[in-house]
Amino acid sequence: MMNVAATEMLCWNAASLLVAVEPEDPKCFAEGMRDLTCFWEEEGSRSPDDYAFTYMYQETNEESSKCALTAQSVGGSKTRYICRLPSVQHFVPLDVSVFQDGRLIYNRNLLIDHVFLLDPPANVTVTQTGEQEQLRVCWLPPALMDMENSMMYEVEYAPTGSHMGKRESVRARSEIILHSLQPDTRYNIRVRAKPDGLSYSGYWTAWAPWVSMTTPPAEMDLLILALCVVISLILILLSLTLLLSYRRFLLKKVWPVIPSPENKFDGLFSVYGGNFHEWLGVGNRGFWWSPTFLLVEESPSPLEVLSEAGFTAPVPVHPMPFKALGLSKKEVEEDERTGGQDSVLMGRRKGKAHPHWVLEQLQSLDQPSVPCCELHTLEPSDTYVSLNYRSQQDSGAMSPLADISEESLPLQVLFESPGTPTSFSDLESVTYSSGSGEISSQSSLEYPYGAWPLKGPSYISMTVTDSGISTDYSHMSWGTTGLGDLAMAYTNEYKNKVPAPRLPPHGHTVYSYY
Amino acid sequence: MLQAKHLKILLLAWTRLGLPSPLRPICDPRVLDRFIKEARDTEFAMRSCSEGCSLAEPLSVPLTSVDFAIWEKGDVSEPQKQAQEVQSGLWLLAQAISAVRVSITSTALHSLLDNSHSNIHSIGQVIRSLNFPEYTPPADGTVHEDTWRVSSTLELFRVHTNFLRGKVRLLLSHAPACRRDST
Repeated sequence: MMNVAATEMLCWNAASLLVAVEPEDPKCFAEGMRDLTCFWEEEGSRSPDDYAFTYMYQETNEESSKCALTAQSVGGSKTRYICRLPSVQHFVPLDVSVFQDGRLIYNRNLLIDHVFLLDPPANVTVTQTGEQEQLRVCWLPPALMDMENSMMYEVEYAPTGSHMGKRESVRARSEIILHSLQPDTRYNIRVRAKPDGLSYSGYWTAWAPWVSMTTPPAEMDLLILALCVVISLILILLSLTLLLSYRRFLLKKVWPVIPSPENKFDGLFSVYGGNFHEWLGVGNRGFWWSPTFLLVEESPSPLEVLSEAGFTAPVPVHPMPFKALGLSKKEVEEDERTGGQDSVLMGRRKGKAHPHWVLEQLQSLDQPSVPCCELHTLEPSDTYVSLNYRSQQDSGAMSPLADISEESLPLQVLFESPGTPTSFSDLESVTYSSGSGEISSQSSLEYPYGAWPLKGPSYISMTVTDSGISTDYSHMSWGTTGLGDLAMAYTNEYKNKVPAPRLPPHGHTVYSYY
Repeated sequence: MLQAKHLKILLLAWTRLGLPSPLRPICDPRVLDRFIKEARDTEFAMRSCSEGCSLAEPLSVPLTSVDFAIWEKGDVSEPQKQAQEVQSGLWLLAQAISAVRVSITSTALHSLLDNSHSNIHSIGQVIRSLNFPEYTPPADGTVHEDTWRVSSTLELFRVHTNFLRGKVRLLLSHAPACRRDST
């Protein structure tokens, strides 16, 4: 018959603990200072009367005592036999023997003060310490006499949800401060106890129930904050320095410069505002001579042209713009065809070229058709002023012109009557009467007209045209070249008046003809 | 070891001074814990004792068993008796150790035995510091209390350890002199 007292059912969780830890049979443990419980488990369900449990303390000469056994069924097929000693003695070896049907099955020698299995620590409380990453754990030590100073504890803690728990041991004190915890994290903590092994020894108690507490949130360390600020400032400064030192490069990449042909065309944009025609008309580059008439007009200076022969009177020439002459291109062509001595056509010209204008004046003397101006036509017997490019030969700057044949030369005023001397100097003076100053340099006008090459009657007077665009006439081109030459010569004279010898006389009137 | 020696020097110094005033109570449990630990080490060393570890004749040793039910009663009613019991037991042990030292040849064990002997002496000093009446060993070498007989050094030192762990420790930890201080 099995008698299972209620008191004997205590703490069988502890018993199962023992089964895992204690290899010897019977397993004995002391829950307090005055008890000892021994048990063993056997397959089957035999009556405890089949067994005999005897024990004897070493220092007594008495015979061994017997312990009353109780039985408990465990896990269906097993039976647990339990002996609870009525009184115990500590610090003295105890000899235990178990007999089954008179046969010794177990024997064990143990010290009762070495087999303590106590209750888990009670009243486990966890509080914040007021400092970062810390928690304080407190519990009650076992209320056994003489045990308070002989205990060691183990604390296990882990963040909620984590399975990686850490353990800390503590001796003789019933509290501990956990360090290096994660801030603002909920921790689960539990505690167990065990005699320290010096005076008393035993098994680990069962774990106390889990207790949770949250760690305080992290504070921004002032030092770390200051360091972060300093580092970010340094980085900003570095990036600014880099940007500034490479700003031109970066600007070029981000905002590429639109190429400008400014450097190839001197003054095109600055002086003439991008007006290509006008810029060409200045004669600076002279790639195309033709658009000279497109150039900005210059007010011509008044010029009085006098002729010694056939000129009835000095012909006052009123200054007027070229285009006021109103000569058309067509008229020019006509004149040329006629071989006209009388032709002077003033093409529409917007250019400057005072010499052009002069020549035109001269050559249009026999053309009364020009309404707006008082030109005097020149009779064939009249003397003409011939401005020959050859005069330019003296100046080296005219070397490109030297390539030009005489026939393609600029205007040539032929003397119809070589016999009629024309006072060149008069002409000169005429030409310069409007101006001031004297002629000093080489100019074609200085040539005695006898030296003027007479090309023959086939040569016509110069026609001033707006040629470049219109015509391919050799005459025209000749005319044009003559114009250029004339211009050059004329400008040369004018230039002579200028005290500063800036350019070579024909320097900036050099045309490159094509 | 070092700590124990320092403690012994202190104790000897005090006792030799022969100051009439009572010794300052030594209530620190770590003092005795040190002695207990050394006694355990000696006991473990005796397990490997091969020569001369069997005693020719049995030696008397004190009883070590403590029944807490009885002890608590006796602690209240007869504290002096307990002190007497402890002191006589220590004396017996000292005698036994001295006797064993003669028969054991191993020098390593000799040092352990000497240490144990001096420890027992120090414990006596500690007990005296706790205002317990001084113990005068019996002239005839027998004690009134019950004794036990051991026939091997291993047993002897086992008893030695148990005695220190049990009765001596209880006496010291429950000494009235210390209890008054640790309120």
